[in-house]
This record gives sequence, C-alpha cells and structure tokens, in this order.
Amino acid sequence: MSPPEVPRFARRFFDPTRRISRIGDGPLGGKATGLVAASRVLAARRDEIAVPGLEADVPALVVLAADAFDSFLDRNDLRPLVSEEPADEAVSRAFARASLPAEWLGDLRALAQDARCPLAIRSSSILEDALLRPFAGVYGTKMIPGNQPDTDARFRSLVDAIKFVYATTFFREARAYRRAAGELPSEERMAVLVQEVVGRRHAERFYPDVSGVARSWNFYPSGPAEPREGVVDLALGLGKTIVDGEARWTFSPAHPRRPPPVGSSRELLDVTQGAFWAIGVGPPPPYDPMTETEYLVRPGLDAAEKDGTLRHAASTYDPASDRLVAGLSRPGPRVLDFAPLLVQGEIPLVDVLRRLLAFSEEALGAPVEIEFAMTMPPGKPARLGFLQIRPLLVSRETTDVDARDLEGPAVVVASASALGNGVRELGDVVFVERASFERRLTPAIALEIERLNRRLVEEARPYLLVGFGRWGSADPWLGIPVRWDQIAGARGIVEAALPEGSAEPSQGSHFFHNLSSFGVLYFTVPHPDEGIDWEWLESREMVARTDHVRHVRVERPLVMRVDGRARRGVVLRSEAP
Amino acid sequence: MAGTSVNPYEMAQAQFDRVAGLLELDASTRDLLRQPLREYTFAIPVRMDDGQVRVFRGFRVQHNDARGPSKGGIRFHPQETLDTVRALAMWMTWKCALVDIPLGGGKGGVVCDPHNLSQREQEQICRGWVRQLARNVGPVSDVPAPDVMTSGQHMLWMLDEFEALHGGHYPGFITGKPVGMGGSQGRAEATGYGVVFTIREALREMGLDVRDTRASVQGFGNVAQHAIRLYTQIGGTVTCVSSWDQADQTSYVFRKESGIDLDELLKITDRFGGIDKVRAREAGYEVRPGDVWLEEPVEILIPAALENELRADNAPRIPATVKLIAEGANGPTTPEADSIVAAKGILLIPDFLANAGGVTCSYFEQVQSNMNFFWEKDEVLARLDVKMTAAFHAVSELAASRRLDMRDAAYVIAINRVAQASHDRGWV
Repeated sequence: MSPPEVPRFARRFFDPTRRISRIGDGPLGGKATGLVAASRVLAARRDEIAVPGLEADVPALVVLAADAFDSFLDRNDLRPLVSEEPADEAVSRAFARASLPAEWLGDLRALAQDARCPLAIRSSSILEDALLRPFAGVYGTKMIPGNQPDTDARFRSLVDAIKFVYATTFFREARAYRRAAGELPSEERMAVLVQEVVGRRHAERFYPDVSGVARSWNFYPSGPAEPREGVVDLALGLGKTIVDGEARWTFSPAHPRRPPPVGSSRELLDVTQGAFWAIGVGPPPPYDPMTETEYLVRPGLDAAEKDGTLRHAASTYDPASDRLVAGLSRPGPRVLDFAPLLVQGEIPLVDVLRRLLAFSEEALGAPVEIEFAMTMPPGKPARLGFLQIRPLLVSRETTDVDARDLEGPAVVVASASALGNGVRELGDVVFVERASFERRLTPAIALEIERLNRRLVEEARPYLLVGFGRWGSADPWLGIPVRWDQIAGARGIVEAALPEGSAEPSQGSHFFHNLSSFGVLYFTVPHPDEGIDWEWLESREMVARTDHVRHVRVERPLVMRVDGRARRGVVLRSEAP
Repeated sequence: MAGTSVNPYEMAQAQFDRVAGLLELDASTRDLLRQPLREYTFAIPVRMDDGQVRVFRGFRVQHNDARGPSKGGIRFHPQETLDTVRALAMWMTWKCALVDIPLGGGKGGVVCDPHNLSQREQEQICRGWVRQLARNVGPVSDVPAPDVMTSGQHMLWMLDEFEALHGGHYPGFITGKPVGMGGSQGRAEATGYGVVFTIREALREMGLDVRDTRASVQGFGNVAQHAIRLYTQIGGTVTCVSSWDQADQTSYVFRKESGIDLDELLKITDRFGGIDKVRAREAGYEVRPGDVWLEEPVEILIPAALENELRADNAPRIPATVKLIAEGANGPTTPEADSIVAAKGILLIPDFLANAGGVTCSYFEQVQSNMNFFWEKDEVLARLDVKMTAAFHAVSELAASRRLDMRDAAYVIAINRVAQASHDRGWV
C-alpha cells in the first residue's frame, strides 16, 4: 500500500474526516493494509451490514510508517546490536534508551495530547505485507490507558510503547519465525498502529464486552460443521485471550447454538473462559515499559459480573440437572458461552458476522480472518469495532487419502482427523518418548523440544513432531505448552491423545494460524498407542536424545499426505520396516 | 555589522511602525513598544594575561517584559553596537510572543573578539558582565543565554558569579548551560530543528515533497549544522554551505551537487564553524569565496549566519528555482530584499518564527531549572515541534486570511500579544 492513499495525520486523533491517517512517508505494513481494507468494506457495504441496535465502525487509527522505524535503528546505531541476535532483555534495554526520530515527535505528542483514551499500540509488519503471510501474534502489542491527566505522562507511555513494539521485532520468537519463513532474521521493517481501543470503563478497568476472531474457513471443524462455514472465537474482555490461545468460546456461525464437543455441561466449566484481560485505568502500575502487560489486568468473572458485562456473555451451571441456564438470574457458577447473544439473539451478532465474513472474502478474493470488539452499553446501540481483515491461506491443491490408505505396512502415522492439505516429504522426526511421558513434565518437555528445534532450524532440516495432548496449550496439564517459535521448524505435527484421557485439539488461534500459514500438516490421533508405529520410530537412527524427547533420522524421506476435504492424513515410510 | 551600513535598530523600528499601522495601535502603545524599556551600558575592566588592564564595553537591553521576564542572548563580537543589541532585544520580544511563551525580550553583548582572548580573559569578562548587572537580571527579571561566540562555558561562569553574589543556587538565572549542569536536553538541536520544523510545514502547504528539494545554507555554526542534520534526515539534499574563515576574514562556499556530507565536513570544521578549505577540496567539494551560496539552483535557502546578508544588492541574484527562504539567523533579510524576494514569489519564513526553536527550548530549560526536574530529550523535542508547528500555522493562516506576507503576519500576531499584555497591565 502506498502511503498517499492514507491521509497525513493532521494532529487530531478523532478526526471524523480521517478515521485512518499516517505519520511518515514509508510503507504502512500488513495490519494497516488490513484496516484500510476493513474500512473500505464497511464504507461500501454499510447499508447491508447495518442492523437496528448495532453500529459498526473502524476505530480511530494513526499509523507510524516504517521510515520512522528505519530512522530509529539507524540514528541510534542499533543495527549492529540486533544483527548479533542478543537476548530479548538486551534488545529491550537498548531500544528503551534510544530516541525516536525527532521529526515525528511533534505528531506523537499531538496525538498523546488529543487522545485521552486507552490506545492499542500494535505492530504492522512490512514483511507480512510483502509475503502475503500473516505474522499474527509474532510481534508485541501494547495497550496503554491514556487516562493520565498530564500530557507528558501520556506521551511518555506512548513513546515507550512504540519502542517496545519496535524491540519485539528482534525478540527471539520473531527471529525464529522469520528464519522459518525463509527470511533473514534481521530483515524486517515495522510500521506501528496507534488505535483507539473499543471498550467501556468499569471502575478501574477498561475492556470490550466481547472480542472475537472470525474466519471464513474452519481449519478445525467439529461435529456437523463444514470447513467453508467458517468459525468464530469469542471472549470477554480484550482479544489477547484469543490471540494467546487461552480458553474462549468457539462456534460455527452456521451452528451458533451448538456447544463445543464436551462430555457434559460440567466439563464446560473447565474449558471455558474463567478470567479476562482488561486495561487497568486505576492507580498507575509500577513502571515497566518493556513488558507487554504493563498496563493490563486479568480479573476473574466475579469482577465482570459486578461490572454488568456478563449480561450478554454468561450462562449459569445448574449442578442438579447438569445443565446450563442462559443468563444470570440464579446463583451458581457462571459459564461464558455467550448464550444470550448466540442462542437468544439479543443482538444479531452472528448475522452481522456472517455478512462481514462474506463481504470481506469478496473484497479480498480469498478466505479471510477478521478481528472485532464489541461494546453493548445498556440502553444504547451496541458498537462493533472492526479491527482487522487478513487473508487466510488455504491450499487448493488436491490430495486424495481414502480410508484404506490409513492402514498398511508403510503407515507410520494415520489420522482420520487431519488438518491442512497436500503432500510433504521430510527426513527428521522429533518425538516425545512414550515410556517416560507424564503430564507434570510438559513444561520441561517444551524446553527440550525448543533446543532440538533450534538446531534443526539452523541446519534447515524440516521435521515431523510427535507428542501427547494439545500442542501450544496454555494449561500444561492438557498438553505440551510450547510457543510457536519453539517448534517453528516442524512441518508436520502429530497430536496423540494423552495417555490418561483425551483433550480437544488446541484452538489457539494464532498458533494454529501459524500452522496453516506455513502449510504445516497436523495429525490428530485419538489414542496414544494406536495410529502411530512407535516401534518403527524408536528403532530409527538416533541423532539426539534429551530426558524425554528423541530426535531420529530416516534414510529415505517420510511422505506426509493430508486430504483436506476428507480430513484424512497419513505419514508413510519409504524404507523397509 | 557584517560589512553593511544598514542600522538594524532602525530596521526593527521601521518593521514595527508598519505593523503598528496595520494594527492601528494608539500613539502611546507605539511609543512604548518601538523602544526598549531599559538599557544598560557599562564598562568591564579586565586584567589581561600580560598584566595590562583592558576595559571592555558591555550592554544589556530589556526591550519589553509585559508578558514575562526578559529573555535573550549575550553576544561577544568586535563590531557589537548598542543599536544592534536594541534591535535584537526587540526581535526577542516579538519572537517570544509569537511562539506564545511567557517571556519578554532582551539582549546583551560585549565588544570583544573571543578569538584573541584566552579562556581566563573570557571568564573575567563574563564575571565582570554579571557583577555590573547582578541587581538587574535574574530568574524572575531577565534571563540571559548564549549567542554569537558565547557558549555553555560562558553561561556557567556567569551563573557561578551570579550565585556567588546572591548566595544561593539559581539555575533558572541563565540558559544554554551544559546538560548535567542545569542545561536542557535538545538545546543544541533546538534552533536548527525548529527551522526545519517550519520548513517541513511550509513544504506541506506548498505541496512539495521534501525529498524533491535541495537547500543552500549560509553559515556552518550550531543552527546551520542541526538544520542540515534534520533536513537531510527527512529526505532533503543540501548542496551548498558557506562558512566564515577566520584567517582570511571572509566567507567561503562549499558545494557538492550530489549533496554535502555533514559528518564529513564536521570533521574538518573548527569550533567557530570554519571549514578547512584544503581538506574540503580533497574531499571533492568545490570551494569558492563570497556570497554565491544564494545563487545555488535550489528550492530552499537557509540564511543561518548573521544579519543583513540578503540585501537589495544581492537578492536579485537569487535564482528562479528558489521557492522558500527560512531565516535561521536573526535579521538576515533587509526590508528592500524582502520586497525583491516577495516579487520573485518566494515564501519567506521570517527569522523570529523560523529560529524561535532556540528561545522556546531556552524557556523549557528555564522551566526545568526552576523546578530542578529535567525532561527526556524526546519530550523536549516533541514539545518544541508542537510549539513551532502551531506557531507556523497561526502565522500562515493569518497571512492567508489577511493577505499579508509571512513576516507581517508574524509581527501582527506577536505585537498584538505584547500590546495586549501592556494594556492589561495598565501601562498604556
């Protein structure tokens, strides 16, 4: 996107004639491109999207173009430092000490002076734009309260937040991501978005009633849901809950009343959201400018109930009948299933989302992911802030795997619920050892995998990763709590059921977003001992072994095949047993 | 000064009279504002290094302090005159009012040539200057600052003498102090950066992309150096600078069509801004004597040396490519040259707007000194940008709405504010 399409920031944040404006003349990056697309979709289809009682808009936004990032690195002589790939803390310290380019400071101060509201400071990667590949969740986002009465204090927190976002460009996770994408770890340029946060203030916190991510293609359909029907994640509070892969409510927009596949209503208490993220707008927290959560708080649902924000979001569990009762009329544990919105349809959110997805897909000519946040103040129209559109990458190549292919002497892994699509070959396998696996060991196992992954990435050897439980789980008892950068070199992943019982596949949206955007094939195996030829794996040539993880190499490449339509997948060996 | 017979005080009064007419000021207000409120002239006896006593002539002029304490630099120059100091004090009043900081205007000077004085002799002049004026200056009455051929070191000597006489610490007495000794971050950059902030805004209004512009800069002192730094950082190309050669007592122009390299030139520049001609030639610069800097085929001229450099005799030589003149120096354009520039259709950003970054940052320094709490550099520069940009647009909008040139529009805003303050105080 060339900058002139976006008008220059005229030193007024809430300028009705310029909802989106820019500071600087360089490129504006992927997220800014998405927001411009979002505002165009809204402008073009406003009448079709509008419904009584709900207003949709793109929140006020200023983009600090990437030339400021270049100048920041050059004038503070930071390039030699980042090329040495230092620890995250060293990058943070150096960036915090450095000065933003003088020519843009006046604009930023004017912004801080004018915007007396919570702001989200987000990265907008240039590589993301160039590669047409979502770098979602790779770089830092910082929320600042914007409620300090003194302009100096607001300016200070804005500048610190921009430096933090710049610094995260060179954090280890981001470097690993770029390396895995085939880019030089130091090759990145960053624009920064300064965006109004959609939300309401309740006592000492500020948050949206609902935030969400909706995709027009469902990579992980369950029950009657079809991939093309899409999928929506909802959470109370800031979208960080969804971005970080924490518990949220996931549903198909074609079947909004259908609960997730759990054994009982009681189980929903464990797998739904129990706390939410908000921006603290009370007494200032300890000064900690290089931490993403400096101004964030994470209260429990009791706080939300006091705030009145569970009204549209919660049901109440009735233990006597093992049922959920929509609303808060009776005492009991609250379950965030958004039934008042999805089942009772108090506000036609599902309808609006379906249309937004359809119009966005039409505008981008490809399956899309959209982000939004909503407020529903009593007695006033709801506001839906349209925060992002980006293309989802869906492989269109055809691969057939029929039921018979799941059996046979050459099958190493067989899955009737595989994700992704296509054929890949690779020669290395990293697997968690059956014999020594215990749930309590998963954090240690994550670190062991990270070490092996780092070496394989350096050697440019893609590998198949095999383990138990949800990959990327925030809860270490449900699976191995890896971050994406710790497994970034894996091109095939097997999620075997936990030895002591099953867990639903992980839905950490950005984690899985990364899987799909890198074309990683994902095999879910419902039983820890069936569907995987452990003996064959364990008898391969061992390259490295840690306490609980083994790295083996095969003489002739393994072939991974996934049929995305039938959702069947196999890993086949080419060599004799 | 600078080899011209134009009397700067008369020039300043002529400018005032014209604007007073535009504002239809009453006679008493005109009388009050067209001359200084207070003037001090005094002798500073100094025992020189050779044992002889030499008497230097010192000045301080407080033009008007209706809006706040007087503020203005102290110049060391062999050709200093009281009229120069009067004119500069008056311009300081307008400058402070224009950028809307609560200060009045003052200026001071000593007739001397620091090139021919030892450090000790300069220190004695500084201390003598303060001893003569200690009762008439101070944080709440008149706040000096560095100017031509004075530096942070001179300010510290003056501060030390002032504090010794008054028996306490008064860092807000003087500005331009070194960082860490009561000085402000960003002070060194402030004037030059301020010039470029106004250039940036002017180019936007003119619909010109800074990356498509070239500039020629007269002078290579602090203002010019920082203006060149920021202008090139935002994408412009400086093809020519001129600098004063102390040995030859004349100016030389240093040209490079592809753009000068500031850091390269700084390595071969003495502490007064004189560039080494021989080494510049070796580095590929074309070196020529005289004032041909104003003949460069560029879009922007930045006179950032002394006053009266653009005159009736040389202004016609400004080429047609020039679209904008930003006065980094004080009073570089004579009224006759103003008319020539206007006839050529060149937008001129007047001195007391373009170079107001210095006094604005001095004000920031004084505020910080008075509360003994100091800001980060980016906070200082951000505040500076906001002040300068707001001042530029106020002038530009008034110029457009009342069909005035930028200088008159700036004067109208500034003089009106000072006149109003004088009225409000009941002086006139």
